[in-house]
Amino acid sequence: MGTDVPSVEVENISVRFGAIKALSDVSFTVEPGTIHAIIGPNGAGKSTMFNVLSGVYKAAEGQVRFGEHRLDLMRPYQIAGIGVARAFQNIALSSAQSVAENLMLGRHHLTKAGFLAAGLRLPRATGEGKRHGARVAEIAEFLELGDKLHTPVGVLSYGDQKRVEVARALCTEPRLLLLDEPVAGMNAEETDRMAANILEIRSGLGISVVLVEHDMGMVMSLADRVTVLDFGRRIADGTPAEVQAHPEVIRAYLGSGDEIDPAQAAAAGAIAHHPSETPGTHS
Amino acid sequence: MSEATVTSPGATRAAPRSAPAPRRSFVRPLVLAILLILLLVAPIYVEEFWLRTGFAVAGAIVGAIGLNLLVGTSGQLSLAHAFFLACGAVTYVFVSGESGGIGLADLSGLGWPPLIGMIAGVLVAGLAGLLFSPVAARLRGIYLGVASLGLVFIGQHVLNSWTSVTGGFNGRSAPEFSLFGFAFGNKDPELFVVGVPFREAERLWYLGIVLALAAYWFARNLLRSRPGRALQTLRDSEVAASVMGVNVQRYKGRVFLVSSMYAGLAGVIYALSIGSIAPESFGLEVSVLYLAMIVLGGLGSVGGAALGAVFVSAMPLIFQRYADALPFVGSPGEGGLAPGEAARYLFGLAIILVIMFEPAGLAGLAGRLRRKGRDPGGGRLTSRSSAATSSTTTDVPSDRPAQGSTS
Amino acid sequence: MTQFLSLLLNGISLGAIYALIALGFVIIFKASEVVSFTHGSLLLLGAYSIARLSDPLGFYLAALVGIVITALAAFIIERLIINRLRGAPVISLAIVTIGVDIILLTELIRRIGSDILNVPHPWGGDSVSIGDVGISQNRLIATIAAGILIALFFVAFKFSSWGVSMRASAEDGETAALMGIRLGRVSALAWIVAGALAGVAALFLVGSPTPGVSASVYTVALRAFPAAILGGLDSTGGALVGGLLIGIAESLAAGYQDQLLFLGRGFGDVMPYVVMIAVLLVRPSGLFGTKELTRV
Repeated sequence: MGTDVPSVEVENISVRFGAIKALSDVSFTVEPGTIHAIIGPNGAGKSTMFNVLSGVYKAAEGQVRFGEHRLDLMRPYQIAGIGVARAFQNIALSSAQSVAENLMLGRHHLTKAGFLAAGLRLPRATGEGKRHGARVAEIAEFLELGDKLHTPVGVLSYGDQKRVEVARALCTEPRLLLLDEPVAGMNAEETDRMAANILEIRSGLGISVVLVEHDMGMVMSLADRVTVLDFGRRIADGTPAEVQAHPEVIRAYLGSGDEIDPAQAAAAGAIAHHPSETPGTHS
Repeated sequence: MSEATVTSPGATRAAPRSAPAPRRSFVRPLVLAILLILLLVAPIYVEEFWLRTGFAVAGAIVGAIGLNLLVGTSGQLSLAHAFFLACGAVTYVFVSGESGGIGLADLSGLGWPPLIGMIAGVLVAGLAGLLFSPVAARLRGIYLGVASLGLVFIGQHVLNSWTSVTGGFNGRSAPEFSLFGFAFGNKDPELFVVGVPFREAERLWYLGIVLALAAYWFARNLLRSRPGRALQTLRDSEVAASVMGVNVQRYKGRVFLVSSMYAGLAGVIYALSIGSIAPESFGLEVSVLYLAMIVLGGLGSVGGAALGAVFVSAMPLIFQRYADALPFVGSPGEGGLAPGEAARYLFGLAIILVIMFEPAGLAGLAGRLRRKGRDPGGGRLTSRSSAATSSTTTDVPSDRPAQGSTS
Repeated sequence: MTQFLSLLLNGISLGAIYALIALGFVIIFKASEVVSFTHGSLLLLGAYSIARLSDPLGFYLAALVGIVITALAAFIIERLIINRLRGAPVISLAIVTIGVDIILLTELIRRIGSDILNVPHPWGGDSVSIGDVGISQNRLIATIAAGILIALFFVAFKFSSWGVSMRASAEDGETAALMGIRLGRVSALAWIVAGALAGVAALFLVGSPTPGVSASVYTVALRAFPAAILGGLDSTGGALVGGLLIGIAESLAAGYQDQLLFLGRGFGDVMPYVVMIAVLLVRPSGLFGTKELTRV
């Protein structure tokens, strides 16, 4: 701990693709060191929001503030440089390379070796590589990938690959971690492990985590705060309990047949637990 | 930002030890060592034709490795390689050549030591790459491939027009190379090794080995380090690379620069191997030939680029030499194909077949043989496991809003 | 002044031919995301076929058959190779078209050698005067033909089901396929059309003032690439504008080359590439190309 983690302030963000408004006037705040979930039915604009936060899409209106930085004015690599990391929904790893090599990409903005130093194998390049290699191994260990460091990513299971994706984001030493559907396609056991990891990330590193996820049980038990999007608009924002009972949210999900049990949701104020015990406390 | 320590989950669980680094097979270094020894003693036994060919092939290897960094590793298609070869060759000839001339041609030259000329060739080619790199860095996707065509034609036009420097249409001879007084020609000094006269071909042979090895070593180091990783991510997805912190435009510009410097060196070697330069030697066909080398070798593999260079350079010469033995090759007028034509058919066909069926190229084949040797019948990695197609499951923020996606 | 007008007119007519080639190029790119480096040799194939068939078949039939041959060749390339590589990285597709180009070009140059084959256009080398300005009949007819074809194409593109299918698949192939659009069919048709356009362009390209079919037709055809790129690789309108721009620039540069001697003799031949690079410096996606939505 000790890193200053500011809040993320999303203000009135609108994104347009031609005539389509993918996001309209969306605002929310991610308090420092919390887990903040963004949920919503398909096509709600969740990935678009992530792309805005990463700098990939340019917002037509609005601002995103992270400490003294304006994320909406920065290019993606600059945003990575100030400590915003992202794990992609569809795995964006290099399948022919080993886990370690993929993870080392995360160290890019923390290292300096250029073409000349690297090509000539100057000590400053190789020394840097070793130091950061050790750190990468630590992070891999944390996500239970330690024994797979030298395995090519392509042969790993889907669940393992998703963990490499998260590990690589961690390797950038972020202050803000964006996880795009980290448990999509995982079985119950893997989901639980990932949830545990996310909680440890939050408590161990004290960083903010923004989560896009469909698994409601996981979201409800992990998130400190939830923002709900539908058709590019924010329809609810609050604690999991508040959001679950929100009539707009119920309406949005009932229409698309998602995992929220309408009976449970109708029992206003009841905090529904996901059947499988998720370890870790919910602060 | 400070590196907060992250503790392993559950100190109660036995912490798994990190896997040891992969066991290094000693077969590969052994094979390479034998190869090196053979190369070193070759001039004593091998005839001059092959030594001269070898030097030219060394040049092709250097050029191919450079192009591979750009096209194979970083995924930036460029057809401008011939232009940068020309930059290197012309600069060498100008910097180290003498003024004056025969008859109509009025050539200018600086007459500086050939080593300076060689270095200048590399630097000028790099400068040209640097000048073009703002364009190269900002073009997305396949635009660079088409745009780079322009450089080749502009380059040839300059070669034809700037007669005082380039010798114009007729070309210009290349000064002999020498290193601190030791000439790479037939004399100065007269050299005998175990009774074999070491003349120009023998001396250039060693020069070629040194340059090719250096080129290979530098590229290999690059790929295994920070810039190499960044470049490979460029190929897979520029957006993903940028999100991971890679300054995409800067890296595209830099790899273009490095590639053009390699081409510059290859151009100097070319000038030395032929003994002269002429504009027609730097046309689009040459760029295409280099592309064939790296495709055949396996896009993304440094060793593959070298293999491809050897294959593509040697093929026309082999066809020529053994024209009688080959059914379809004949001398012009005899009804068969000229060796050069036969080679071109082969390359075109090989490119198509490699892309369609074996994208890892010769390097991939070599890798498979090696794995079979080590583990016959056993675990083969995913069929596209070479660096050539290291792409991922699906792409990452694509250029269009993901309409079919879940969010 | 008349010189300028004459050069301008000549440039427009040349540009019209370039536009035909560039249009084919763009159609292929939109339909299959492939940059077709085979276009140069396809054009040469068309020119060669027409020339060779002119004797036995007479001009008009030879022209028709030649265009059909070119379209057919494009179709075969698409079916045998491009279609099998659907989903491959764009760069691989581009490289494979280079491979095809190598084979086709080598074969054609072998047959043509250093000859200049004659194509007996009925209008021969006659010129036509518009006021004080002269233009070869061949070029005039070319411009008219190009205009008609391009107009026809735009109408088809906008209103026919093929046009809609193509625009849809260019926009989002996955969704288009899900909506029932046969991507393979769209792609094949695009290549056929592009091949046919190249054939027509070849027909006029080898007519006056060009002496006939020689290996240099390939080099001339390549100049349509800058036209396509500077207009924007995925913009059909851009191909038209690009073609005209390139044609006019080349014509002017060649016409005024005495005044431009410091740029080297024959500068007109590289003018298209210089213009292309200049445009790309300011507009990396071409004049009318779709700008990338994502930032890097």
